[in-house]
Amino acid sequence: MSVQPAVSVPERFPRLPDAQPSPRRARLPFSAWHLLLAPVAAIMLVPLVWMVIVSLETRQQATSFPPQLIPSSIHLGNYSAAWNAVPFGQFFVNSLIYSLATVAGNLLFCSLAAYAFARIRFFGREVLFVVLLATLMVPFQVILIPTFLIVKKLGLVDTLGGLIMPNLCSAFGIFMLRQFFRTLPIELEEAARIDGTSRLGILFKIVLPLSLPALATLGIIQFMWSWNDFLWPLIIIDSQKHAPLQLGLSQLQGAHFTQWNLLMAGTVMSQIPMLAVFLLAQRWFIRSVAFTGIK
Amino acid sequence: MKRLILLPLLAVTLALAACGSSGSNGSSSGSSGPAPAGGSKNGHTTITVWQGDTETEAAGFKKLVAEFNQTHPNITVVSQFYGNSDYALQKVLAAIAGGKPPDISYLYGSWAPNIATNPQLATLNKFIDADPSFDWNDFFPAERKVATVGNKIIGIPALVDNLALVYNKTLFKQAGIPLPTANWTWSQFEAAAIKLTNPAKKQFGWAYVNDASEDTVWRFWAMLWQAGGSILSPDGKQAGFDSSAGIKALTLLQQLTQHHAIYLDDGSDNYLSVFNNGHIGMLWTGPWDLAQIVQSKVDYGVTILPADENHQTISGPDNWVMFNNGAAREQAAWTFLKWLTSPAIDLQWVTLTGDLPVRASVAKLPGYKKYVAKYPGVGVWAANLNNATQARPQSTKYPKISTAIGQAVQSVLLGKASPKDALNQASQQVNGILAAPG
Amino acid sequence: MSAHSATGIAVHRRPSLLKRLVASDHLAGWVFVAPAVILIAVFAIIPIGWSLLLSLQANNLIAPAHYVGLANYRALTKDAAFRSAIGHTVVYTVIFVPVSVAGALALAVALNRKIRGIRFYRLAVFVPLVTSTVATGIIFLWLLDPTFGLVNYVLHLVGIPQQQFLQDPNQALYCIVAMTVWSWLGFDVIIYLAALQGIPGDLLEASEMDGAGKWSTFRSIVLPLLGPATLFIVVWSTINALQLFDEIYVTTRGGPLESTTVIVYYLYQQAFQFFNGGYGAAIAYVLFVAILIVTLLQLWVGRRRVYYTS
Repeated sequence: MSVQPAVSVPERFPRLPDAQPSPRRARLPFSAWHLLLAPVAAIMLVPLVWMVIVSLETRQQATSFPPQLIPSSIHLGNYSAAWNAVPFGQFFVNSLIYSLATVAGNLLFCSLAAYAFARIRFFGREVLFVVLLATLMVPFQVILIPTFLIVKKLGLVDTLGGLIMPNLCSAFGIFMLRQFFRTLPIELEEAARIDGTSRLGILFKIVLPLSLPALATLGIIQFMWSWNDFLWPLIIIDSQKHAPLQLGLSQLQGAHFTQWNLLMAGTVMSQIPMLAVFLLAQRWFIRSVAFTGIK
Repeated sequence: MKRLILLPLLAVTLALAACGSSGSNGSSSGSSGPAPAGGSKNGHTTITVWQGDTETEAAGFKKLVAEFNQTHPNITVVSQFYGNSDYALQKVLAAIAGGKPPDISYLYGSWAPNIATNPQLATLNKFIDADPSFDWNDFFPAERKVATVGNKIIGIPALVDNLALVYNKTLFKQAGIPLPTANWTWSQFEAAAIKLTNPAKKQFGWAYVNDASEDTVWRFWAMLWQAGGSILSPDGKQAGFDSSAGIKALTLLQQLTQHHAIYLDDGSDNYLSVFNNGHIGMLWTGPWDLAQIVQSKVDYGVTILPADENHQTISGPDNWVMFNNGAAREQAAWTFLKWLTSPAIDLQWVTLTGDLPVRASVAKLPGYKKYVAKYPGVGVWAANLNNATQARPQSTKYPKISTAIGQAVQSVLLGKASPKDALNQASQQVNGILAAPG
Repeated sequence: MSAHSATGIAVHRRPSLLKRLVASDHLAGWVFVAPAVILIAVFAIIPIGWSLLLSLQANNLIAPAHYVGLANYRALTKDAAFRSAIGHTVVYTVIFVPVSVAGALALAVALNRKIRGIRFYRLAVFVPLVTSTVATGIIFLWLLDPTFGLVNYVLHLVGIPQQQFLQDPNQALYCIVAMTVWSWLGFDVIIYLAALQGIPGDLLEASEMDGAGKWSTFRSIVLPLLGPATLFIVVWSTINALQLFDEIYVTTRGGPLESTTVIVYYLYQQAFQFFNGGYGAAIAYVLFVAILIVTLLQLWVGRRRVYYTS
């Protein structure tokens, strides 16, 4: 059933389908897509709006059920209170190191491996790929303790290194990038091979620049995972000075009783970097347009 | 294109540098030392305590640890937050698997029978027997039962609670019914719950946690005991709850459900907020909710639970558990726990936090009145510990038993089964669990 | 070791085995995958092997364990609760995967255009993804609360009677589907968005110049070109759906009346509430084999139906 486009694609000129306003739609004051996107966006924003509201309420308003959606007064003080309740600054730095290191590791190691799986025919390729993929199929709870024991053997318990190492490369990233690399026009690579460019050169000079949207996506996802990771940091980190943000936030959450206004203020603050990363990386979604002429 | 290559490389280098530097820190204290941050040198011993305290309790514990470290120059206690949800168990299990558990850990009472199977666990009988001044019998009976597995004492009570009846005086006045008393019976309780119910105003007489967890189950045990029933048969080999007492207890739940008199909490503890907003007349709850009830400005009262045959309640104590990381550290851990749970320090702790005292003799201390006055109603719970005469079976099989009962209670609350059928099915399951090896 | 020293003839015609190996794609391939393979082997494959041993033990993760052979697996075949957990997991997966993939595709296409406020819309779709599962759980428990929830309030306005949602054994699993679609949609959307950037504009133009409508252009060009991404999303969503846990843990805890007890929640219960670590590992292995089979099947179908450039 697969339709093989007859057109050969020597270069990429991705252009958005709707870039040119269609004359039929000119009568509407706005694009009809808003009618779909606006309600969807509203539904998607519910949690953020709710968290922001709670983060501005008094302790008592925040625990009322049903929730009070219109705070009678605004309490920005919750933000400074949350910031000061636990060593937030330190947690931020730790989370940033954890997230950036795992993003960098995944971009590098997954790119290398994914390129090999996509383009190089080597002995054992298919089996190895399935073996790597299989590591995604076991619930983390089951491999938690042995992973801890290995990190312990490496002497990395209660260190940022121990936090980072097991997450430097995932089969998820390899699989995702492999799928993207395989959609790239192979002609460019073949031409470069004839010119004597090495495999590594092709990867870095041709494949990766063409894959910025995919790399940006992997980067965002990995950043988000590390930033929101809770269980692994809980297991591997003992002391406050190495704890990332989510571990810190859990210290605002009591067994029986939680100050929701403080917790939500902390949660909103913790989400800002992720949203910033997303906005930043979003440029790369579109950015590939700029890389039209690859030489 | 150069930049592209350099960026991830730079970041990885940075990351590895971070690994390296923190790794070397870690190996000095982590892998060579007997436990995370601990050791014994030149007569000075450092021990690690894992706890999950937050907010007031976290601040209070920090204060007490500082006080201990100051007054005990030969011991340094390092306190570490290890989470306070069920996830904390996984951290403890990983540490046990690694052979380096903390010297002391706060552990839920329900974990005790399983934790007791660990060879590295410190049995405390020798310390308690050798030190009459410790006075083990000063701890409440329910606490001692949960801290004892077989004849091994595996922990020192860390926190104790129990269920009492909290009511909204305003709603009682509106409904025109007299306030609950310490002599209340089930029928008075039931009649009041029905009268307090008003679906049009989204008002409920009572609340019940309906997530089939232990939170659902222990409330049922209190009722079962009040009706004169028992969880297991006297020899502990068979289910005992499928008795007339059990049916009576579930029938009470069934009737109140049919009157829509129970706010069914989904396990998120929203019952408290609903109560605090004046939508629930009565709660069966513990001292942990008190601080928020006070803040909500609800005109509340506290009394013991109503009686069928008696006014028994249930208590769910948690333990401080010690792991053996060498004799010196074991001794230091004991010294700390003895100090921490001594009557004077315990009074200091409960006054800071509003928790209940773990020792009976705390009530005889001069400062006790101040504590009771600081948290109006807490005295009822403290005295109510004497009504917590029974405990759940100390068995590794208890979590499975609890799950079976949770399903039974939930099926009645949801109107899916009659009390008799629900208990029949549960008792078959429990008999199977008890008969299974292990 | 090398052939030429023995024969002495035609030495320079044939490069040495080593040289051929170095120049060959086999070595290049392995060099490229080596860092990833080492990392994943140490931190995933070894632990997975360890859990295989665990599944052959009676192990409460606290006391020294002993070997019991296949006893855990034999017990699983007679475990009615496990069977019903499989049922819930299958129902969940069969609904979740198509709904979320189709929804994400539609949304991604809508988001892949230059209209005013598009960045805002994309950010909005991303928001549920970065929201912690705990917060998501709290929000949904409130929205779906039978007495005080917003959803019942809205239903009441249009005359629909009060629903029990997460507290109704017949509805809870479907509420979980809705909740997880909502919170994971953004994930699939950003992958589709990235894939859509790879579709050459002139291709679409050519198609439309040929007089093909938007819908047929979408079907005949966009959809096939999204094949690799779709395969990835389907495989990944299925792997995740079959391992659903967090969202159950923060909302229903498997209830009411075990109606949302999925396999991994049951595993968690066995390992960390009942302290049957060995049994939990056996559950994990049965699940592992099942996921592996499903994934291989999907990849096999994908191989025949997905178009790649190479």
